[in-house]
Amino acid sequence: MTAATATKQALLQRLDGLHQIPTIPAVLAPLLRYLQQPVEQLDVQKVTDLLSQDKSLAAQCLQMANSPLFGRAQNVQSLRGAVVSLGFHHVSDIAMSCGVLNMLPSDKASLDPVVFWEHSLGCALVSRQIARKINFGDPGKAYLAGLLHDLGIIVNLWVLPKEFRAAWEMGKGEGIPLHEAEQKSMGFTHCDSGRLLGERWALAPELIEVISYHHAPEKSAEHTGLVALVQLADLLCRMSGLNYGYVEERQVNLAEESGFGLLAQHSTALKDFDWARLTFELDSYMDEVHSLVRAIYRT
Amino acid sequence: MDGPPEPELVRIRDVIYQTAGIFHPDNKLRLLQDRCGRRMKELKVQTLREYSECLTIRPTRQAELIALLNEITIGETSFFRNQPQLDALRRIVIPKILEAKSNLPLRRLRIWSAGCSTGEEPYTLRMLMLEELNVQLKDWSTEILATDLNERSLAHAEEAVYGSYSTRNLTPSYRNKYFIPQGDKLQVNALARSNISFSRLNLSDDSRMTFMKSMDAIFCCNVLIYFDLASKRRVIQHFFNNLLPHGYLFLGHSESLFGVNDDFRLVHLPGATAYVKGERTPAGGKSL
Repeated sequence: MTAATATKQALLQRLDGLHQIPTIPAVLAPLLRYLQQPVEQLDVQKVTDLLSQDKSLAAQCLQMANSPLFGRAQNVQSLRGAVVSLGFHHVSDIAMSCGVLNMLPSDKASLDPVVFWEHSLGCALVSRQIARKINFGDPGKAYLAGLLHDLGIIVNLWVLPKEFRAAWEMGKGEGIPLHEAEQKSMGFTHCDSGRLLGERWALAPELIEVISYHHAPEKSAEHTGLVALVQLADLLCRMSGLNYGYVEERQVNLAEESGFGLLAQHSTALKDFDWARLTFELDSYMDEVHSLVRAIYRT
Repeated sequence: MDGPPEPELVRIRDVIYQTAGIFHPDNKLRLLQDRCGRRMKELKVQTLREYSECLTIRPTRQAELIALLNEITIGETSFFRNQPQLDALRRIVIPKILEAKSNLPLRRLRIWSAGCSTGEEPYTLRMLMLEELNVQLKDWSTEILATDLNERSLAHAEEAVYGSYSTRNLTPSYRNKYFIPQGDKLQVNALARSNISFSRLNLSDDSRMTFMKSMDAIFCCNVLIYFDLASKRRVIQHFFNNLLPHGYLFLGHSESLFGVNDDFRLVHLPGATAYVKGERTPAGGKSL
């Protein structure tokens, strides 16, 4: 058995051991279940009450509700105000953002949680922006997919912190993508571990596909377009400074990536898409993402 | 950013991007507003809406756009202006070029600074090459061609004396290695002035443009923004022909060729973009 296969075995065993697996945050499960009902059956007060059960989550939602990244013009003072102003779906996305990202262990020796947050939030925003611009389905879904695509990194940080730190250091040292470093040093990637957690949490099938295949969208079967979109958004973020805390020393031509061809099959608008402009727009996201994540992290 | 940006300003931003190819992201809109403000004062125009009309409807719109672009690019020229671009050149682009040329007998690198203004860009490039002389560029000769339309700028470039604004990004190491103090100014030393040739060139001069052959990289920052679409297309076509097959074209920060040329391919480097000739590959040919 090679060292890599041994590590993969170890991961599977530890995940099976259950006690180490991150559980979906206590407040999120009932909130998300409630929000899955038809909109007309939802009650603002009930959503506000569910959110209020976790004070830090509530405060973080309020921070996000007031960020220009969510298009707010006026200052939202109360949680109820945030729910009304943002709408149920946005609240659900925001709660998910905060809830999941709060699970990060604070091991600053390798991937800094703030940096991971920034990458995830950046990828969510870029995914949403691409979806809007090329008229690809529901931008909210693209946002959530972008936000959760690296769920496996959280698993790796929890379950195999030492091994993951070695992989991250290899990625940093060689300037190679993190998933390549993980594959080389651990024998599996955050896509594999993310998939295990996604399945255990019974996340929506399209989210599980994004988590599993965002580095190889050609392997996805059902939701190829969304997986491809997140692949491109992720890559754009990593090349534009919203990375994992180190620079990947490489050149990327998005049009040559497998996701580009796959996404083009779902959207004719992609052919004439202005990637340069989106890249420049990312400049302004960066500032907002940095300040928002820092503000949330202090909350 | 306080709330959504003003719609008129966004409209002006889009006009500038469509006509000049330079983009102001939301976090730079205040700067753009400030530059528009200077022009509005000059024109005695009260509102952004009225100024936007000066750029789009009025007969003098072309001249006004150029006046605004002049305001936008004021103070843009300095040593080491775009660090991510320079890092990408050194760490990723030069290795790729050297690899592409590894089987050729002539070990020579040719870089063109097209629209070099007062010379900060070509000297910066020369200093980077010098830094790599004993590393990547051992046994390689490098040649930098620097051209501009403006003779006064070229004279300044050849004199190579710069004030504090131009030299503000210099690290102490570069300052000590490649500059000599001249009163309160700095002059580029003989070493960093070697292997650069300055000449006057109009990028619209088709006959002379065809002679700028065999380039490995072309830097053309904040120059094309002043050209109309037809001239821009011609210049870019020349760049395309002048570059070797593995060649790179670098534009200014937030400058794009979108809608101008379909032959160049946009590539992303860490924190920077560039254009490559490359082959037309079918999309989806490679997995990540």
